Amino acid sequence: MAMIISNAILSSKQTVSATNEAVSEVSSFYLEAMADRRAKTITNLINSNFDHMEKAVAYINNEKIGSEEELRATLGNIKSLLSLDRFALVDDDKIVHTQYTTYTGGSRHDFLSDEKMDEKSVSTVSIYGSAKQLCLAAPTPDLSIAGKRYRASFVQIDVGEIVNLLAFEDEGRTYFGLYSKNGENISGTELGPYVSKHNLFTAIGNVIDEKTLNENRDNFFNAVEGSITYIANGTEETLVYVPIEKTDWMMVVLIRESVIQDRIRSISERSLTTSKRQIVFTVVFSALFFLVLLFMLKALSKKDLEAEKANSNNFRNMANTDSLTGVRNKHAYSEAETYLNQKIRQNEIDKLALVVCDINGLKIVNDTLGHAAGDKLIKEACSLICEHFTHGAVYRIGGDEFVVILQEKGFDTMLEVIDDINRAIEESIKKKEVVIAIGYSELTKQDQLVHDVFERADQMMYQRKQELKQMGAPTRL
Amino acid sequence: MRNRLKINRILSIMLLSTIFLSSCSFNSSNIDSDVNAPVAEHEDTAQVSSKSDNLVRSAVDFDHELDDYKPKKDHYNFYFTYKTIHPWWDAVALGMEDAQRQYLEKGITITYEYMAPEAASAEDQKKRLLEAKDRNFDVIGVDVADDVIISPILDEMVDSGDKVMTFSSSDAVDGCKRIAYVGNTHNYEDGADLTKALCEKLGYKGKVAILVGSVGAPCHEDRARGAKDTIAQYPDMEIVATEYDMDSVDLAYELTMNILKDNPDLDGIICCNMSNPVGAARAVIETGSSTVIVGMDHAQEALHYLKDGVIYCLGVQDCYSIGFDTIQTAVKIADGNKPGDLFKEKTDEITTVIYQEDAAIMLELLYGDD
Repeated sequence: MAMIISNAILSSKQTVSATNEAVSEVSSFYLEAMADRRAKTITNLINSNFDHMEKAVAYINNEKIGSEEELRATLGNIKSLLSLDRFALVDDDKIVHTQYTTYTGGSRHDFLSDEKMDEKSVSTVSIYGSAKQLCLAAPTPDLSIAGKRYRASFVQIDVGEIVNLLAFEDEGRTYFGLYSKNGENISGTELGPYVSKHNLFTAIGNVIDEKTLNENRDNFFNAVEGSITYIANGTEETLVYVPIEKTDWMMVVLIRESVIQDRIRSISERSLTTSKRQIVFTVVFSALFFLVLLFMLKALSKKDLEAEKANSNNFRNMANTDSLTGVRNKHAYSEAETYLNQKIRQNEIDKLALVVCDINGLKIVNDTLGHAAGDKLIKEACSLICEHFTHGAVYRIGGDEFVVILQEKGFDTMLEVIDDINRAIEESIKKKEVVIAIGYSELTKQDQLVHDVFERADQMMYQRKQELKQMGAPTRL
Repeated sequence: MRNRLKINRILSIMLLSTIFLSSCSFNSSNIDSDVNAPVAEHEDTAQVSSKSDNLVRSAVDFDHELDDYKPKKDHYNFYFTYKTIHPWWDAVALGMEDAQRQYLEKGITITYEYMAPEAASAEDQKKRLLEAKDRNFDVIGVDVADDVIISPILDEMVDSGDKVMTFSSSDAVDGCKRIAYVGNTHNYEDGADLTKALCEKLGYKGKVAILVGSVGAPCHEDRARGAKDTIAQYPDMEIVATEYDMDSVDLAYELTMNILKDNPDLDGIICCNMSNPVGAARAVIETGSSTVIVGMDHAQEALHYLKDGVIYCLGVQDCYSIGFDTIQTAVKIADGNKPGDLFKEKTDEITTVIYQEDAAIMLELLYGDD
């Protein structure tokens, strides 16, 4: 439990730290990729428009155009066919011809100021009213309409349309803008809250040193990519810029790293808080669970452990009981002998006597009358012994041999009991009933083991067996 | 044995529960996906007074809508000619194109020619008008290059059935038969207003020069008259030179250099067209003169000079509205309407004098330039 909780806390903290590091590491790479992607979008747009312009001029060349009205109609067809919304032709007098208007455009289109247009040009046009356009112009050296030579064709693409193309979803993590060589914002997009729509170098001139500012100005002027990191209003911002091929524009992408880090940190902290709540919940839940468990275990143990104990006693009794007679068996005697030996060694016992009993004639009965009769004889012998030695522990340690351990009261009454049982046995001889030879011995100070006592009792039992034989008791001999 | 199994089962459930709860806590950290929405802490670093902002934004109105008039045809073809190829008329053209787009959205096609010579010339304009007369345009519009020369031509055209209007900055002479005029009707007042501002700045004393645009161009001449009449009101002020740049910035520069050379103590220059203040400012910067410049129009370079304090004030005309209203009025004239409820005989367009504190907003408004 403790490990799981610790793990949860540690993992959350490590996640916060690792995320912060990752943001710093990948941001520049991420920005560069974003800037490249957007720059290529513009380059592709330019290439595509130039291709369409070539097709448009080829189309016009194939038409037999005889008047301004027919030219306007043809330009209308081109708009439908090639999706060139603001396609125009310029004649040698610098008069511009569009689908709806014909106008003198020398002051309106910078590229017309060139006396001779030798190659394609891409220029930025600032229009009265703050709009800006990208103007793509291409020479048309072979184009003549109604006997008049045309020097160029051009299209004007609103920067707003370009911005819409570039505004792909990046979950609002970055800002982007198109900038001129001098840092002027062309796209009208906000490059974050600090730079906003202002001239880039005017805006960041206050937050970076002059050397860095000049280096980046040079990069812009020479169309070299680069990046700037600065802190504005307490927030670290990084911007990456890449030149846009075929234009004099710079694509600038900005990310506010601190904002992202703050947001990630905020998310992580919320997660951590959630984890902590879960941990508290887990602890409380577990505590309640343990209490219930404890209660259940307690109830269970009181009832079932008692039964367990009873069963255990039963098993133990079964192990120590002679199945035929119900008295203790050889195994129980060994345990008792071990126990008593320990007491003897510790000198903690003074009243101990052993009575050794052996059934006469058991083999004859088994051999002549069968084991059932033998077993009956054993039971009768056991009953006789148990009836007399009521204050002793009776053990059947062999087929026809019993031992009675006498202590305390049994020890004190031993001789009387032996006299009684011997009289009963002697009567049994006459009645041809069970006959038992009995020997006994008491623990002496010289005895170190119970076996010493047993040996003396056993010898006495054999002597008694001779006596009983002489009295007419059955014997196998 | 059975009891042991029970205990083991309980312990297993407890362990699994704990693991489940712990895993829930980990999962919860992954659930939060609120990673969107860029943080928008807008901090306007270019704070300006709302007064200045309102002044500039009311000076040029880019937000036009066609009125309720229902044109009678679905196609109109116009011809417009103006004094000279110049950015000022490019601004007028944008207003015209806006109106043309709005008519197109209503299913009415407007086509037109919008032509001018490289240099202002009444003779060139006369030739263009006579050529256009034979091309069956619905309406012919003229920004009069020289009212004395052009007005009779317009009368002849009207007499022969052509529908003729004047537009932008210069109307024909009073009594001309042209149907209507859309544009600046207060050029004289504009010249007077700029001059008053200059006089006030100079403390109503000092030497001044007047730069005018094209000779005979009504708007330029009217402003010059307004300037001269205003100066005449102040005995301590003197006009030391009056020159025409023929709408050429380079010529305006050269003329100013000469004036400054002849009058090194020149206190002020009144510029009556769009090219005048640009050329004058270049010369003043080059010579290091402290001459105060007041002038006309919205040239981007002139607005930068205004922002930098080289030019004291500029009178900005609402070119966009002039262009838009010209097309709208031309449609009504083409349908045979006369001035009255549908349109005025002279549709007045505003001129706003702006100062240094207004320059940045005007640059942003007109050119997206800060």
